[in-house]
Amino acid sequence: MIYLDWGATSFYKPAGVYRGVVEAMRTCANPGRGGYSAAMEAARQVYACRETAARLFHCQPEQVVHTASCTHGLNIAIRTLVKPGGKVVISGFEHNAVTRPLHALGADIVVAGRKLFDWDDTLEAFDRCLKPGVQAAVFTHVSNVFGYVLPVEEIAGLCRQRGIPFIIDAAQSAGTLPVHFEKLGADFIAMPGHKGLLGPQGTGLLLCAQPGQPLICGGTGSASLLQTMPEELPERLEAGTMNVPGIAGLDQGLRFVEKTGLSTLYRREHRQLKRCVAGLKKMGVRVFSGKHQAATVSFLPEMECEEMARLLAWREIGVRAGLHCAPLAHESAGTVETGTVRVSFGWNTVDGDTDRFLRAAAAIVGSLP
Amino acid sequence: MKHYFITFRSITFAQRAEQLLSRSGVGCTLQRTPRWMEEQGCGYALRIRTKDIRQAGEQLRQAKVPLRRVYWQKDDGMFEEVDL
Repeated sequence: MIYLDWGATSFYKPAGVYRGVVEAMRTCANPGRGGYSAAMEAARQVYACRETAARLFHCQPEQVVHTASCTHGLNIAIRTLVKPGGKVVISGFEHNAVTRPLHALGADIVVAGRKLFDWDDTLEAFDRCLKPGVQAAVFTHVSNVFGYVLPVEEIAGLCRQRGIPFIIDAAQSAGTLPVHFEKLGADFIAMPGHKGLLGPQGTGLLLCAQPGQPLICGGTGSASLLQTMPEELPERLEAGTMNVPGIAGLDQGLRFVEKTGLSTLYRREHRQLKRCVAGLKKMGVRVFSGKHQAATVSFLPEMECEEMARLLAWREIGVRAGLHCAPLAHESAGTVETGTVRVSFGWNTVDGDTDRFLRAAAAIVGSLP
Repeated sequence: MKHYFITFRSITFAQRAEQLLSRSGVGCTLQRTPRWMEEQGCGYALRIRTKDIRQAGEQLRQAKVPLRRVYWQKDDGMFEEVDL
């Protein structure tokens, strides 16, 4: 299969990730729950992953909380910073992982910046909306639909300057673009483990500058007589038995990213993006591309997007069609009625994959009546 | 060389302390905290062999690793709490 749905998950993993998962299943018991070798090995594995993540994202190991997904981390962060009914500024390109928790809290949501690939518009809108009374700002680093790379450093600077706590959704950037927790000064940064970080599904990381409100309470293996969750990170946010095989695999994914280097990964993926955008434009379909774009592109064929994706799937090419769980981003781009077909690239996508997709897409588009 | 126990509120801090001290040549082992040492229940501790526990404590403080308690294991096997 030609896999071009890396925005959904990294279907192909580096070999070490598979080995890491299996090895952990064979050698690890419950971390932080015992003193015998298999329990200590599990604890070592979990801590090793925190250390690797801390190096990659420039924070301390105890600030790295293991979550089940990016959505899980975003929910913790949002529940910590936003009180019911509170005013929150978000970008016009947020995923439902941000908007649904805010709606569940009855938050007063202010959308800042609707123009794709336009940093001036995004920054001007945040500058206008980040006013006294705003409880928090939540913004994505990269739009999962269009690959728009938002000016997160500048938005973070505005938030810091005005004393407004903020959360960054790094779902589409972690593992490809630099994410410097200390320099950004975010209260929380959430990311999945299974996308750019190349770990297994069911893993995620939440980088925390403050303890945070636990979403779930339960055993942590420490201070068991206390009937409240511990104050200390990361245990405060990690009740229950951890996904040790997943975390071991994630550690291997992180190490692969660290060893390969973000700039190399970005260069490889961006090469495919440029190739794909050029090919799509030749076909005459509407392509959403711009200056600040990560390795994800959406296009609109002159046919139902789901049908286009179905015909590509029939040719063993995996892309995603629809609203991509981000109706707000489609509202911003004017594609909420149609959705888009999204093509996204990963660490092992080669020219031949992109070319095969382009040939197939051209054949489908060309066969239209 | 004397034997000490440092107790921590979380296994993560105990692990970070273990890394920091090991890298600076202080012999230490991570283990479960004896129940009587931890009034809040389960926890993890570092068993340390060092001539200078104050220096070790200072190193951890500088790295912002919070300690709970420090115990010195005397020659007769009994423990005495040390105030750092």
